[in-house]
Amino acid sequence: MKKIEIPLEENLGHGHLACAGCGAAISMRLTLKALGEKTIMVFPASCWSIVPGSWPYSSFRITAIHAGFVTAGATASGVRAALDVRGDLETQVAVWAGDGGTFDIGLQALSGAAERNEDFIYICNDNEGYMNTGTQRSSATPLLAWTTTTPVMQPKENPKKDIMAIMADHHIPYAATATIAYPEDLIRKLQKAKGIRGTRFIHLFSPCPPGWKMASEQTIKISRLAVRSRIFPLYEIENGRNYTIQEESRIVPVKEYLKLQGRFGHLTEKDIETTQKNVDDTWERLQRRARC
Amino acid sequence: MSKQLTFKSASEMPMISVSLGDMEWNKTGAWRTQRPFYEDKTPPCSAACPAGNDIVAFIQKIAKEDFEGAWNIIKEENPFPGVCGRVCFHPCESKCNRGPFDEPIAIHALERFVADFGSCLSRKTGKAGEKRKEKVAIIGSGPAGMSCAFHLARLHYDVTVFESFSLAGGMLRMGIPSYRLPKDILNREISDIEALGVEIRTGVSLGEDLRLEDLKDYQAVFISTGAHRSRGLRIPGEKEKGVLSGLDLLKKINLSKRVKLGDKIAVIGGGNTAMDVARSVIRLGKKATILYRRSREEMPAFEDEILEALEEGVKIRYLVNPIRVGQKDGLKRLECLRMELSEKDESGRRRPVPIPNSNLFIDSDHVVIAAGEEIEASFLPEGLEKKEGIILTRRDGSAGIKGVFAGGDLTSNQRTVAHAIGSGKKAAMAIDCFFKGKDGEEVIIQHLIGEGPSLSIFGYLHPGERLRNSHVVTFEELNMDYFEPAKRQGESKSAVKERIKGFKEVSSTLSEGVALDEAERCFSCGTCNECENCYVFCPDGSILKREELFPHQVDYDYCKGCGICFTECPRGAISLQGEAK
Repeated sequence: MKKIEIPLEENLGHGHLACAGCGAAISMRLTLKALGEKTIMVFPASCWSIVPGSWPYSSFRITAIHAGFVTAGATASGVRAALDVRGDLETQVAVWAGDGGTFDIGLQALSGAAERNEDFIYICNDNEGYMNTGTQRSSATPLLAWTTTTPVMQPKENPKKDIMAIMADHHIPYAATATIAYPEDLIRKLQKAKGIRGTRFIHLFSPCPPGWKMASEQTIKISRLAVRSRIFPLYEIENGRNYTIQEESRIVPVKEYLKLQGRFGHLTEKDIETTQKNVDDTWERLQRRARC
Repeated sequence: MSKQLTFKSASEMPMISVSLGDMEWNKTGAWRTQRPFYEDKTPPCSAACPAGNDIVAFIQKIAKEDFEGAWNIIKEENPFPGVCGRVCFHPCESKCNRGPFDEPIAIHALERFVADFGSCLSRKTGKAGEKRKEKVAIIGSGPAGMSCAFHLARLHYDVTVFESFSLAGGMLRMGIPSYRLPKDILNREISDIEALGVEIRTGVSLGEDLRLEDLKDYQAVFISTGAHRSRGLRIPGEKEKGVLSGLDLLKKINLSKRVKLGDKIAVIGGGNTAMDVARSVIRLGKKATILYRRSREEMPAFEDEILEALEEGVKIRYLVNPIRVGQKDGLKRLECLRMELSEKDESGRRRPVPIPNSNLFIDSDHVVIAAGEEIEASFLPEGLEKKEGIILTRRDGSAGIKGVFAGGDLTSNQRTVAHAIGSGKKAAMAIDCFFKGKDGEEVIIQHLIGEGPSLSIFGYLHPGERLRNSHVVTFEELNMDYFEPAKRQGESKSAVKERIKGFKEVSSTLSEGVALDEAERCFSCGTCNECENCYVFCPDGSILKREELFPHQVDYDYCKGCGICFTECPRGAISLQGEAK
């Protein structure tokens, strides 16, 4: 097997408050390895308002700014402008928002900033729900999944919002999906984003053991199965047009992914078929977009 | 803890609240309910190796391009890597966990690669320092005797090997044709053993020139005289002129290669000796037909041997059983019965039964009987117990007379080179225990590989090093996400028409590049090879890189016990244990 090579630099310190097996903690650790110390990261309300630690302590070795739930796009625009005024072009501005802060609550500020092509890397840490406030549904929650607001008697009726298509249609220079089971791909995409100016969007898929009702030791396995089952394909979009898909050679049925998670425990064979069809359709749509 | 900051006035204070302290004080290890820890386990290959080679360890050295390191690791357990890499039936490969994934690792080819690389090394084995006062006599210089001599010499004993023949090597020299095992390879490995200070006295036969009473100067004796007597067929005419024993013929060919034979040779038997005889006969420019009483499926010869024999033009007739050797027009005339297969017998193979009145006749210049070998017990000292054709020994190889041990083909029906090497090693350990007043059986049980019977002397010589849990890693315990299918790389073989011209070796040693590719395929079952998945995927940055005993260590101050390292370890080298809470 090929050894996985990642930078040794650690910018997420010990003692943080993420749950055991937190996918987002791995995402953060890898992201900060890629972005480096000279990064200012804006945090709207999310798990990451809590995880780094409470005042006057923080496990970050970068500068972190906590912001209001709706304001990530605007705050990051302001931080960038301030750095520009000081002539600091070296420091990267980034946003770390959850799917709630991106797909739902922060969407207008993000859309505004992206339309202006503001110069920052927006990272959406997607754990498919409001996991910090009690596992409520978001518009990133997948079809038929259980959350506390979509109970098993009436699981989520709507498919996940296609945030990548929305961002691509803002004609931003770079958008990419990434997940922790593919650390080299994740780091490469962040480093690539770092070398581009303008709004860059990274959709990070981070399994959440308590919210997804899954075993903490399965985090990487589930991240990998999300890609192999095409629940979460890995791809890049440049300038809203040029698609590059990182194809997985070992494709598995979506059932393999679903069966490891309690939030899908209520699914019937028919539900699984529905999910599979939804995944196939989404995959086909992605391929169509990639072709034009 | 947080840095202490002093603000002298309000204007010095930041506009918003700022965290300047880190979280190192928050020992999240207190949350843990399960504890991961590094623990190497036993790979199935080593557990299956009768010679007890540390296979994963030497393959991982190859993968790191440390060929000398690989050579040293093999030599810890086995003085005959060049021999084993060529002629061992490699049960390690049948147990290789890569088998269920794509194809097993070509372990034998890698061992041979290392052995042939080792020949370029300076003889680092050297003499084993100051000798102890105890002397050991070894009778028989085959793989069992020489393995025992090798390990005893490493343990600083004064060892003398007695060999009835004029050259050392036993069955390796006389029973294996040089197209499978070139003599220079054997000579090299024997002289490496001599270089440790082992004395070999050739031309001394037990019973004739030497009796147990003559060995009073030796405090221990290891008897490994092998199984050299051809098992007859007990049919009329088999003692007549023109009927030869397979092993005798191989000995003659191995010594001189100038053997007078007629054109057509019938070989009776289905084992490796039959194949060796038939393929040697072909190389002498004659025709060989093998007669076997069962079908291809039941043949005890190794599959590769059968395939190569067929490629080289050996004819095999199945389901025929000779009942009489007669004469006709100066030829031998074999009268045979056709057979059919009925129920399975105690060996698990289907029993052949004769078809009445199916008599047929096969004419040939010579008939060679290669239907197995048995031990010659007549010259053995009194007091050894014999049962079912072998000499009975205890688990430590001791043979009922104080200070007398036995091993190799003499004491086992599993008559392979690897078993012989293993039994010689076992006896060396037992003899050391005998001299030091330790319980040999106990020591042997402590150093079994996995559940045994494979045995490691490395652990005996280096207590506390390369420790492994005896649990044998199964395929299900590995994480296949990190491996891609990759084709097995074997040795290349020379063309058939070149092969049959003479006794030059059929297969060739792997090139360095191919060996590296093949070593790269190894899953390294149960053995950390520093792939660093644990470090990469830890959410809490709790895998510390340390150089000492293990390449990595878990930082229990912060490890929350999620178990990701355990799941993502591709090779089962991390264990997870519940913690009382």
